[in-house]
Amino acid sequence: MILAKEIRKFYGSGENRQEVLKGVDLTVSDGEFVVILGASGSGKSTLLNILSGLERADSGSVFYDGTDISRLSDSELTKFRKAQVGFIFQQYYLLPHLTVEKNVRMGADLAGNKNYAEVIEAVGLAGKGKKYPSELSGGEQQRVAIARALAKKPKVLFCDEPTGALDESTGRQILDYLSKLQKRGGITVMMVTHNQNLAEMADTVVKLNSGRILEVQKNDRQKSAFEIGW
Amino acid sequence: MAIGFKDALKFVGISVIAVCAVFVCTLFLNYNLDLRGLENIPNDAIPLYHAQISMGKAIAAISGCGLALTSVVLLVFYLKNYIDVHGKELGVLKAMGYSRFSVAARFCVFGLSVLSGALIGFGAAYLYMPTFYRVQNADGFLPEIAVHFHLELLLYSVVLPTLAFAGLAVFYAFWKLKTPVLNLLRESRETAFRTHREKEEPFLKGLRNATLKSKKLLVFLIAFSAFCFSSMVQMSLSMLDLASETFAWMILMIGLILAFMTLLMSLSSVVKGNAKTIAMMRIFGYESRVCSDRILGAYRPFSYAGFAVGTVYQFALLKIMLGVFFADMDVPAYTFDWKALLIALFAFAISYEFILFLYAQRIKKLSLKSVMEE
Repeated sequence: MILAKEIRKFYGSGENRQEVLKGVDLTVSDGEFVVILGASGSGKSTLLNILSGLERADSGSVFYDGTDISRLSDSELTKFRKAQVGFIFQQYYLLPHLTVEKNVRMGADLAGNKNYAEVIEAVGLAGKGKKYPSELSGGEQQRVAIARALAKKPKVLFCDEPTGALDESTGRQILDYLSKLQKRGGITVMMVTHNQNLAEMADTVVKLNSGRILEVQKNDRQKSAFEIGW
Repeated sequence: MAIGFKDALKFVGISVIAVCAVFVCTLFLNYNLDLRGLENIPNDAIPLYHAQISMGKAIAAISGCGLALTSVVLLVFYLKNYIDVHGKELGVLKAMGYSRFSVAARFCVFGLSVLSGALIGFGAAYLYMPTFYRVQNADGFLPEIAVHFHLELLLYSVVLPTLAFAGLAVFYAFWKLKTPVLNLLRESRETAFRTHREKEEPFLKGLRNATLKSKKLLVFLIAFSAFCFSSMVQMSLSMLDLASETFAWMILMIGLILAFMTLLMSLSSVVKGNAKTIAMMRIFGYESRVCSDRILGAYRPFSYAGFAVGTVYQFALLKIMLGVFFADMDVPAYTFDWKALLIALFAFAISYEFILFLYAQRIKKLSLKSVMEE
């Protein structure tokens, strides 16, 4: 379980100091699909970064099964990320000089996962292991990013606008794949988006506005990626 | 406009090399010109007179050409990086209708880095010249030589190199700006290279190989910096026995400046060029020690290979110089100086590993968020 308590974050200094997160409390159960929804500048990406241990809050705590990650040193945080979390970004951030296979092994080798080829196959990229990112379409590159994140067998998968750079058809395929993973693998998925339609796929929707949680909504029925609007 | 005076300031490495190159060339060529003006040379001093002239020419040619070539390589390297980093701005200019030449012409500002370095080197040479002449005159073999100012050296050492480098920058930019606008505007223009057969290898090993293959020029520059350190330090230590202390110090200082400038610039580029890779590795949970080891450590074998080549080079060069220029004179026989090698190797290993340690600390302090937001 992830428990965030009174998270506050400021950017800038002096007159330009701005409070981006204004005391956010949040609880996420294991295996949940959470969508954090908000307009640009609402603080959703900052919240995701803090929950995943990429960034530190100025005050407040984030607990993972009782361990306060906000008190961990940099090297302890690195170990925490290694063991617990995976990331998918809007811009993919693949390593351009490495093949698909080696990009995926970046995650797999960390977890000692020898079955990385299966993960590549599972994201629909069988036979493309020797290709370079520049030889793939945007959708395929995002699948590599997903495979890379999954190959390290994370307990929590953080996704920052994972379909933001994709067309509708590819975006739906990626979301469908993430949703199936969450259901079959029991992985906790936390996704940041500004697209309200995507909220219908989640168990829990957290609506964020100007650094505060406006509403936490539970969905009785999760729609599939092909049922939601775009 | 995208390119300004501030951008030229970033090419400080080229300025420093220009200072060294112009300093040495001006010093020795001015001395040679004054030497040629000598009259009434005693018969027994004629071999020394010819040897001095030949050695002056050789030192000016070797250090001048070597440093000029290094500057050319560094200039091209920096320009390529500059165009890669500022591709979007240059692409916007082209898209707005600026001609390729009008954009490329702005790159002549990079000639300023050579001009500033050359002027400092030229001035420093004339400031140091009285001391240099006094040391040379102290032998008493040749009639006393006074310092004269030779205007033509200003043309050859300052004006022409500045124009040549400015022209080279414009030409290179003009050639690189052939790239279609859309490619310039694209976020990443890094292209993959395909080897004949992609090997099955662990990620970290693959990363090490890819790091080396993707930036071959950096491999050369790092090996070159070790080469300079090795050859210049050993040569200067050997020269303490063979020639004057002034020569030895001069060669030592130039070698150290050149080696450290090249090494620091190359390693900065390694860290900058791999910042996103390092950030992504750390986000995934790789320790910063592993990142430094794989990215910076990949160049270590090449730097020690550069050191070995430098050792052979300085030995061959000293043998040839003594054989050709001082064949008729009574100079001690030159044999390989093992003591110089050990001192140079020890100094190199300590300095190189210390610099790597500093850059590893820099990798540790990289802000993941800011790197990803770039």
